[in-house]
Amino acid sequence: MRVSVYWGCMISTSEYAYELSLRATLPKLGVEIVDLEGASCCGFPIRSVNRMAAEYMALRNLAIADGVGTKFLLVPCNGCYLSLREAAYRWRADEKLRGKVSELLRREGLTFEGRVEVVHTINFLHDVVGLDVVKKAVKRPLRGLKLVSHTGCHVLRPSDVVGIDDPERPTKLDDLIRALGAEVLDYPESLDCCGGGLLLSHPETAVSIAATKLRAVQRLGVHGLVDSCPACHVMFDAKQEAGAKAIGCKLSVPVVYYTQLLGLAMGLDERSLGLHLNRSPVEKLLEAVSG
Amino acid sequence: MSLKDLLSEAVSERELRNRIVRELSSKLQSCINCLRCTSGCTSMKLLELKPHFLVSMVRLGFVRELVSSGVAWTCALCLKCEERCPQRVPLSDLTMLLRNLSFQREENVPEAYLKAVSFVLETGFIQKPMEVVSRDFEEFTRESLGLPSMTGPKGVFYENLMELMAEGGLG
Repeated sequence: MRVSVYWGCMISTSEYAYELSLRATLPKLGVEIVDLEGASCCGFPIRSVNRMAAEYMALRNLAIADGVGTKFLLVPCNGCYLSLREAAYRWRADEKLRGKVSELLRREGLTFEGRVEVVHTINFLHDVVGLDVVKKAVKRPLRGLKLVSHTGCHVLRPSDVVGIDDPERPTKLDDLIRALGAEVLDYPESLDCCGGGLLLSHPETAVSIAATKLRAVQRLGVHGLVDSCPACHVMFDAKQEAGAKAIGCKLSVPVVYYTQLLGLAMGLDERSLGLHLNRSPVEKLLEAVSG
Repeated sequence: MSLKDLLSEAVSERELRNRIVRELSSKLQSCINCLRCTSGCTSMKLLELKPHFLVSMVRLGFVRELVSSGVAWTCALCLKCEERCPQRVPLSDLTMLLRNLSFQREENVPEAYLKAVSFVLETGFIQKPMEVVSRDFEEFTRESLGLPSMTGPKGVFYENLMELMAEGGLG
């Protein structure tokens, strides 16, 4: 199956581990990645200063993907996923927007017809590729590993537009982790936001919110936290130390992308999954895998 | 064109105030003050954001005061408020309109936001590909990790974007 991928800003410019692990694992599931030519930022950061400009950016990226002709457009970042899903939704509902953006796209020789279906890593693997295929690709089951998941806000809400899962009790990421042979715990803080949306306006609060969730995870005594959004990942991984300082505690929680975990279960090399790039102490998780 | 230049083309304050009220007021009228939005708000505890209060303020016409307070920038954009609202009040649209307005009035927009926005308007992305450091202090780039080089948007995209920024964005 050929699938277009819209990488967005964070993955392309700094969260290389997510891109590496997707490029390493998807072919093993029979998925061929098609990169988009000339895509830009999804528009999410522009939304706060100019809503119309943000819609244009999102729809332009969708138009490029539409032109490629694959059935699905995989958007691995939660924020980009929300941007693109919402823009496609508004495109259908708002005639004024459709007219205005069509004209802007035409100047670049682009058209958007709304053919391509936007999916996120979680529902793509769970619903399109399928749990059975994921299970079959496992060479080294992650037995004995105890984990918790963080699905993230923008693939759950607003549920009528993005909803990849039950907005109040998501289970798909847990199912995907279990498919690799690991154990998953439910926890009261599972729906808590990473705080990433506040990083530009209230950075100290943002890292405190992330650290408060991590402190709860640490108390569970699990081997790590599994996420699948570059923005959430930065908050829990790279900002873990700053967060711990902000709320006055010690944190040592391994944080990995789901696709990194998937690659480990497939028996892939740690560096090919970018596991040397995580800032959190992932050694503790890796030792548990090999032990 | 810099962000400051763009702001000089913004329309007058009174007109903007009327536009934002018109844009959302009919949907805002259905708020029954049940506080489900506020009780689940990510920013309530640490930044004292109360989404239901924003709705009430706008209904009373105090848009200017809201913009001046900078309260719209305390939202974490988690969208729980909107998801849980029994009346489907578009709370995140309201937040975004208030932010758009504060950008046009050049009031309270966090410095880091302006930087990120400028970079997107100039390069199409929020930042250029960064050099990252592994836990063993080894430096890596996209190229050294074997990732394909990025392609970005061309001329027309930037012209379109500037045109939209100059128009202001509300509505």
